[in-house]
Amino acid sequence: MILPTILVLAIVVGYPIIYTLVLSVQDYNLLNIDPAVFVGAENYRNILTDRIFWQSLANTAVYTFGSVGIATLIGLAMALLMENLGGAGFRVIRALLVTPWAVPFVVVAFLFRYMYAQKGGIINAMLTGLGIIDDPISWLNVASLAMPSVMVANIWAMAPFFFLLLSATLAGIPVEVIESARVDRTRTWSMIYHIKLPYLRNPLLIGSLLMIIANFNDFAKIWAMTQGGPGYSTSTLVIYVYRVAFENFEFGYASALGVLWLALLFIFALAYMRALRTD
Amino acid sequence: MFGFSKHEHLFGMAAASLLALAATTAHAQSGKITLTFANWASAEGATRPGIEKVIADFEAANPNVKINSEAISFSEIARQLVLRVRSGNPPDVAQVAGNDTILVATTGGVEPLDAYVGTEFKSTLKPDALNGLTVDGKLIALPWNQAPAGLWYNKTILKQAGLDPDNPPATIDALMAAMAAIKKSHPDVIPLGVDTTNRAFSMSSNWPWMRTFGAKPIGADATGATSKEMKAYLSWMREIAQKGYIDPGRKIGEFRPLIAQGKVAFLWDQVLVQGVIQSTNKMSDADFYKTYGVTVMPAGPSGKPASFEGGHQLVMFANSKNKDAAWAFMKYLATSPEAIRNYTVSYNASLPPLANVTDAPLRAQLDTPIFNAYRDKIIPTLTPQPYGAKFAAAATAVMAGVQEAVTGTKPIDDIAQSIQEQLDRR
Repeated sequence: MILPTILVLAIVVGYPIIYTLVLSVQDYNLLNIDPAVFVGAENYRNILTDRIFWQSLANTAVYTFGSVGIATLIGLAMALLMENLGGAGFRVIRALLVTPWAVPFVVVAFLFRYMYAQKGGIINAMLTGLGIIDDPISWLNVASLAMPSVMVANIWAMAPFFFLLLSATLAGIPVEVIESARVDRTRTWSMIYHIKLPYLRNPLLIGSLLMIIANFNDFAKIWAMTQGGPGYSTSTLVIYVYRVAFENFEFGYASALGVLWLALLFIFALAYMRALRTD
Repeated sequence: MFGFSKHEHLFGMAAASLLALAATTAHAQSGKITLTFANWASAEGATRPGIEKVIADFEAANPNVKINSEAISFSEIARQLVLRVRSGNPPDVAQVAGNDTILVATTGGVEPLDAYVGTEFKSTLKPDALNGLTVDGKLIALPWNQAPAGLWYNKTILKQAGLDPDNPPATIDALMAAMAAIKKSHPDVIPLGVDTTNRAFSMSSNWPWMRTFGAKPIGADATGATSKEMKAYLSWMREIAQKGYIDPGRKIGEFRPLIAQGKVAFLWDQVLVQGVIQSTNKMSDADFYKTYGVTVMPAGPSGKPASFEGGHQLVMFANSKNKDAAWAFMKYLATSPEAIRNYTVSYNASLPPLANVTDAPLRAQLDTPIFNAYRDKIIPTLTPQPYGAKFAAAATAVMAGVQEAVTGTKPIDDIAQSIQEQLDRR
């Protein structure tokens, strides 16, 4: 059974990766009737001096680590707060808290887009109503505010995932461990830090790795909310690659970007795996 | 699900497959020609009934032809067509517009139409409708309709703001004064609707504004993004954003329902807006003409108003096995009185490409204040666009700069320099 599996993997995973590598060393524009030309490392050299690539990479880092970090903390706080609550009422609350995770990304994007609207948006209405701001703010159309605004939508959708994951882990901690800590009069913070967090470590590592990969590749939310704008302020790698490949049809250059992107994720995943192994 | 056994399920699937095969074989044996028509007209609710009727009428008049209409969104169609040409499976005919028309032609997969059009038929078309459709000396598309952009205005708002509704602003200075008055009298109204999104269409839409400032950042005889004219345009965009005269980040389509609701005073948009307004607010023709007007772009420092042609074209693909039938279909869509009446004018609210309309009822249908303003005043201000394989990449760079000017505080000189750097990379 090993050989068929290897064959399937070679076709489904190997071929696209190898073909992307081949394209990345070619000058290949779909609009050009002439065949693709081998250019060696030229695409990679151009990437090094491409200001938009570096800005997109920086935006990707901010969006990914910012969103995952904050969503993890919120999810953890929610899980710890809800841990000892029981009864039917709280089951309903738990279910409601998980709802944002079930909402399709595009729906989340449009929902927040309308909430952020300068005219008629509920966020501006609330903030002006409470006297926090004098005039409505164009959240998605101010370069300095667009990225945090998109991240808020992303965190809203992602935090329930961590809540769900960590709630399940907390429920799995042996009762004896908690009881003996209580007998020793362990304080709340100490209980969390010394008893619960070690149990949560691996799920947190796996969950955050999954979410980092998902956010690194998150296209729908950003595209539907800002299309990478204003300017390049929310342009992430995936947005930039999309524009290069499917608006400019520069498949060679887009493939080179894709190879670098894949390498970054691979290095990241390896680091995580190493962290998981060290116990 | 329905309690079928595994054998019954398999039998059912086999029977369905056989029926489908039989139907396909029968269709092929009947000698019917099937044309594939990729278009966004059938993808949009507003135009779907019109295009479906026109296709049905064509099929009724040509019983040997079956049109297989493929609905593809406007934003997606160029990508789909380019990829399909390169994959060797393009449709027979496609609806295209703007830079997409040239992009699709650049792939080399489009059939030149010169042999089909001929001198006599060509003389029935408006010369300006054919502008920009010749690539390497070959006609690559047939104009389906004309939909240039003009400055729409709400007469009621102008009047309430103390402005003369019969004399819309003719210069940028007059426009600024009018917008200041509207902002003061109607704080909740968007004084000017312009598309500031980052896409090729937005670049086309903003190109006339750049040109009226004398800027030409790309194309033949380009003066670049760092010219004083381009900086003047970017500075003006920043000024109207900072004064709250525009609502940044909206696609042009998002302003259309707003102008229908009286929430936009001026709108830089195409002729088809009338249809959207009336379908939104259910205004009668008489009330519409009393409330809305359209005029040429207010002239900037260059002293010349400008416009862009946002009309749609039809292309035939070289791979088509039924080119004569495809041409007949294209010709019918663009020039037959029935198709013009049932789709171009009524559903698309745009102008036909015909130089002279001989059909009396159609001539009457086209004799409106809006159509006349577009035909007589706006079309003469049409400005060529620097379309081509590099236009989309250039549009991304320029419109990103426009967005930075409109939404940020970065110095205009730095933005212009940044745009130029991006243009030089392409």
